Amino acid sequence: MPVNTKVASKAKEKLSAPFSAEEGKKLYYYLLKTRTVDEANRKFFRQGKLLGTYFSAVGQEATTVVPTFLSRPTDAIGPSHREIGCSITRGIPLKFMLAHLMAKRTGMDKGKCHPCHYGGFEYRIITPASTMAAQTVVVTGCALAFKIRGEDNIGLGFFGEGATAQAGWHEAMNFAGVQKLPIVYICQNNLWAESVPARLQAAITDYSDRAKAYGFPGITIDGNDVVQVYVTAKEAIARARRGEGPTMIECKTYRWYGHSEIDPADYRPKDELEGWKKKDPLPRFEKYLMEQGMLTPADKTKMVADIEKELEEAFEFADKSPLPAPEEALEDVYAPGTFEDWVKGWLK
Amino acid sequence: MRTVTFIEAINEAMKEEMERDEKVYVIGEDIGIYGGVFKATRGLQSLFGPMRVIDSPLSENLIVGSSVGAAAMGLRPVPEIQFSDFITPGMDQIIQQAAKLRYRSGGSFSVPLVIRVCCGGEVGGGLYHSQINEAWFVHCPGLVVIAPAFPYDAKGLLKAAIRDENPCIYFEHKKLYRSIKQEIPDTDFTVPLGKAEIKRKGKDVTIVAYMLMVHKSLEAAEKLAKEGIECEVIDMRTLLPIDKETILESVKKTGRAIIVQEAPKTGGVAGEISSIITEEAFEYLDAPIKRVTAPDTPPIPFSPPLEHFWMPNADKIIKAVKETMAY
Repeated sequence: MPVNTKVASKAKEKLSAPFSAEEGKKLYYYLLKTRTVDEANRKFFRQGKLLGTYFSAVGQEATTVVPTFLSRPTDAIGPSHREIGCSITRGIPLKFMLAHLMAKRTGMDKGKCHPCHYGGFEYRIITPASTMAAQTVVVTGCALAFKIRGEDNIGLGFFGEGATAQAGWHEAMNFAGVQKLPIVYICQNNLWAESVPARLQAAITDYSDRAKAYGFPGITIDGNDVVQVYVTAKEAIARARRGEGPTMIECKTYRWYGHSEIDPADYRPKDELEGWKKKDPLPRFEKYLMEQGMLTPADKTKMVADIEKELEEAFEFADKSPLPAPEEALEDVYAPGTFEDWVKGWLK
Repeated sequence: MRTVTFIEAINEAMKEEMERDEKVYVIGEDIGIYGGVFKATRGLQSLFGPMRVIDSPLSENLIVGSSVGAAAMGLRPVPEIQFSDFITPGMDQIIQQAAKLRYRSGGSFSVPLVIRVCCGGEVGGGLYHSQINEAWFVHCPGLVVIAPAFPYDAKGLLKAAIRDENPCIYFEHKKLYRSIKQEIPDTDFTVPLGKAEIKRKGKDVTIVAYMLMVHKSLEAAEKLAKEGIECEVIDMRTLLPIDKETILESVKKTGRAIIVQEAPKTGGVAGEISSIITEEAFEYLDAPIKRVTAPDTPPIPFSPPLEHFWMPNADKIIKAVKETMAY
């Protein structure tokens, strides 16, 4: 892969698919599941079922689902707060995700963290903090661990274009370049860092230009074209696994809704969203698969039914789950068997 | 038994732990080829290679943050922050990641790392090579904050910290590196985290201190003994979680307490210890608690008369003890 290659957005319908029918169908399932759950969560939030707020990733699914789909369960993922697609594709059960959004004891974080901060060691997804680029640094450390151990696992670092302005992000990218770490950085450029437009975030148009400064390839792609994300991420992951170092993939995409559900996103021009909705990754991929003969309407109907059923059961599990007992605030500060009495000493 | 300096004890601890457990590695600025600016990591790269003794770029955020990620994947990183003055770019990773990853993941992740930090004054280091900022971290639950004063404790605590499942910050006072020697055993040993130790027994007044200030306190205690005042000197060794029991037991015996801290007065560890004594042993006190600290200025001014004026020392401790005894 040449340094800083720009791949123009180009329909690939005419070419033969880079994956098997079974793989294509599975990929579509995860995209559909992510979209369905995400829209349902927005509804649950408006119904007052979720606590705090909710960060929707609708419109951006391809950028998270596809690289995660291509990864191994032992590869580390460093997500941010808009990476529901990573969690669903990696296989965090929906019931735990819903419980997390309801701040229940049965959520992965046992009610401690913040909405949409999904993760857990068993999934090799680093539960994110809210200081954006900090996650990029941490997942770079996961890749360092794999290199030190001589394992062929890789890291997948997800961030928005906004996070690339932070100092820690630069330190991580620079170090990954120096050490040729096994990692793929996926920049989701959705044009808005909360309310700040791209023109006020950086003096460049393509964020993949940044990779050049760190001595590894940067590539800009249409993040709403599932096939293009697939081909690009697959090569970058293989490159990382071969020990040839990092790649930064900038996915041009768009979040349909506000930064979170309490943000009406009225800072954006009205026609911008409508333009991007026409580039919705899901119907594009669906059309592609059907044209390739990899997906039938009956397949889709079954998938929708399966997802709806799982979602319904997950919601019921989460809804019926208890909130944490107040004193559980004192748990998981230190490792089991260390200083627990000291923390609980506060009660006296 | 053999005699080692403080910095030799630290070097030995890392070497032995790296030999014992291949998951242990070190990373930091100038630590590999150069062996560290104070030579704490001398000889380690030739023994363990450049992937376990990693010369990092000038990137404190990366030094700490990458260690959090590697620790989360099961390694045991020992990152070095060359001077505590330079820890600020790494603060985000210490406060938001290292200290909170276990808590925010509901106990799913462990972050077994030890951040070694060189700190402290009385070496003419000036405003940006002398800072003493342990209190920032003591206000950060989830961390273990370690601050040894003797080579035996330095080695035993560092080994215990490397084997511990919690994120630890390990402060090394640079004045102690080569000025303090002690006999230590040739066999493997650790010192428990979270436990203070009485370094000198006494019945009249309790002096609580850590790092360089333990030595200033012992010097003061020696002089005061000649005047018939017997000081009990407690070396905190770990600042978070704080060992209340050792302090309270001593104060209940002596009825008087002096707390010595090299850092500026306000918002420091001494204030915390003072509060613990007031809350839990008030009725045992025969005199108000006194703090001997640096003034509330940025630490630590460069010019020798300024630095001398600034640093707490044995004379200032003796004065405080006498005032307490006279109350």
